[in-house]
Amino acid sequence: MASGFQGGIITRGYKSGSIIYFENDKSEYIYILKSGRVLLTYTKIDTGEEVKEEVRQGEFFGVKSALGKYPREETAQTIGETTVLVLNMADFERMILRNVNVVRKMLRVFSNQLRRLGKTVRTVLGETDNVNPDVELFRIGEHYFKAGDFNKATYAFKKYMEYYPNTDYSKLAMDRIKTISSGGGYTSPASAKAPKEDDLSDFSMDEDSDDVFSFDDKPALKKETKPDFSFDSEPDNPSLASELSSEMDDFLSDDNTLDDFGDFDFDGGSSAKSEPTLKERFEVGFSSFKMDNYKDALTVFSEIINEGVPGKPHDLKIYIDAYFYSGVSYFKLKNYKEAMNHLGEIIKKYSDSERMKESLLYVGDIFAAASQKEKAITYYNKVANASPKDSLNSKAFDKIRTLQKS
Amino acid sequence: MLELDEKFFGRFGVEYTPNQIIFCEFEPGYEFYFIQKGKVKITKIINDREKTIDVLTAGDVFGEMAILEEEPRSASAIAVDNVRVLKFHRDNFDTLLQGNPQLAYKLLLIFSKRIYDAKRRLMILLLEEPAVKVMDVLIMLAEQNPQYDFEGEVTLYTTAAQVASWAGMAEADAQKELTHLTRVDKIDLYEDRIVVKNIRDFQRVITSRRKNLYS
Repeated sequence: MASGFQGGIITRGYKSGSIIYFENDKSEYIYILKSGRVLLTYTKIDTGEEVKEEVRQGEFFGVKSALGKYPREETAQTIGETTVLVLNMADFERMILRNVNVVRKMLRVFSNQLRRLGKTVRTVLGETDNVNPDVELFRIGEHYFKAGDFNKATYAFKKYMEYYPNTDYSKLAMDRIKTISSGGGYTSPASAKAPKEDDLSDFSMDEDSDDVFSFDDKPALKKETKPDFSFDSEPDNPSLASELSSEMDDFLSDDNTLDDFGDFDFDGGSSAKSEPTLKERFEVGFSSFKMDNYKDALTVFSEIINEGVPGKPHDLKIYIDAYFYSGVSYFKLKNYKEAMNHLGEIIKKYSDSERMKESLLYVGDIFAAASQKEKAITYYNKVANASPKDSLNSKAFDKIRTLQKS
Repeated sequence: MLELDEKFFGRFGVEYTPNQIIFCEFEPGYEFYFIQKGKVKITKIINDREKTIDVLTAGDVFGEMAILEEEPRSASAIAVDNVRVLKFHRDNFDTLLQGNPQLAYKLLLIFSKRIYDAKRRLMILLLEEPAVKVMDVLIMLAEQNPQYDFEGEVTLYTTAAQVASWAGMAEADAQKELTHLTRVDKIDLYEDRIVVKNIRDFQRVITSRRKNLYS
């Protein structure tokens, strides 16, 4: 092998049959065939078939794996005496910056490959390619409409009207837009009052994890209204102010805007009533929760919580669920302090509720996340030994075993 | 990039507020975007749930498939916080390239990476047994982090749901496989992460399965 410099770029000569690189090698070099022949051999991933491809003189090879920083997907071997130019990424960048046409050609090739791959992936997954984008776009609007995310719903419906004005659902899309703009339905209060990201993410585990995760000491909580976690303390009524959002009230009483709701049932699920009950409001939060949209979920749940303990037993169950799912949402957002506050409330005051065991399990998870292994195990143990036994018990056992191994 | 940003913002700059849709899945699309500031999530509605596929930040490009294709958007782009982007119509693409070859280079990098990711995913999907698929997802996630020492324990910040999505299987099935791997002491499973004890073990299994696949 002979090497030489040519304007900063290395020229390298190979004898016949030499390997320039092997499949799975990692390297950041890109090559241009100057003279001779180079054969690329790779295995097709869907059939296992071996494919050989010859590089033409003046062509690049080894580009994608170098740029994408992943292992070579083919073996490059010379046929006859061969000379190549060897470029590092900086050389390559400099070279192509002077020749945009080369880039455009490469982009086209890459784009084609990507599209073909996408198609194969969809086939393997059994996803059909035969979708009508207009119907699907409408469905997206419906999804957000039902989830109470009206800004997004409006966007999708407006795009539907813009691109497919005279199709099956255009009247309905128009109706939806009108319903939303007239304040129809009960709005997800989320968009108006989403908690600031800072509030949710500024909690630092290192700084005050002791305060937050100790059940024995007085926790250093920001608000006095929040419960502490000493189990022996007197249970007290939540002194949370019961402040019903007045905008919410206005919406709820405005039932003439809801007429448009019921006349279309896209997949049989749209429930349309004029006065959303506590349960329906909870469902709005819960659907955000299920979509991993924890902040929106929290906005709804905290409204329910802030209204105070409801009188009816059934509503109490929803109230407890609002506490529980707030705790879980905070946990998912890694705001362990608030997660602890909410789940602690259930453990303290509603220890006979259905959510008790799950709450204990999550408290264990919070301690585990804070690397307080022993406390985590204490809580998992409470679940593991609680009766009646169900899947949560074995889940707790699994968690204990995992922790003990770590 | 900075030079490009300043010069172009007047003409191509657009701002979005948190939770605002930039474009919607199935909408025809003719523009592509460069993020200057803020976070953008790429989502799809799958089984009536909004799934986040990716979260992009300043310097990232999205909507780039529209440059060369006539297909509707395959996912939605939604502003996570206050977002500032440069929005280019594909008709301006050639002019843009001529004036800003570094943008072209950036696109090449993006395409290279996406092609590999798609191929890698296909390799996982083509494996037959669910257990083996899950193992290969864990290998793939480990590969994405070049600084990992494969000889030791590897911590992957992922969840059963994400593993399931990569493997193209139901979350419950992925959870089942992960629980099994925990039981046989191959991994430790946490709420937000998975610790793989010996990734080389997994690689050996996958290599042999892949050989058998075609023989």
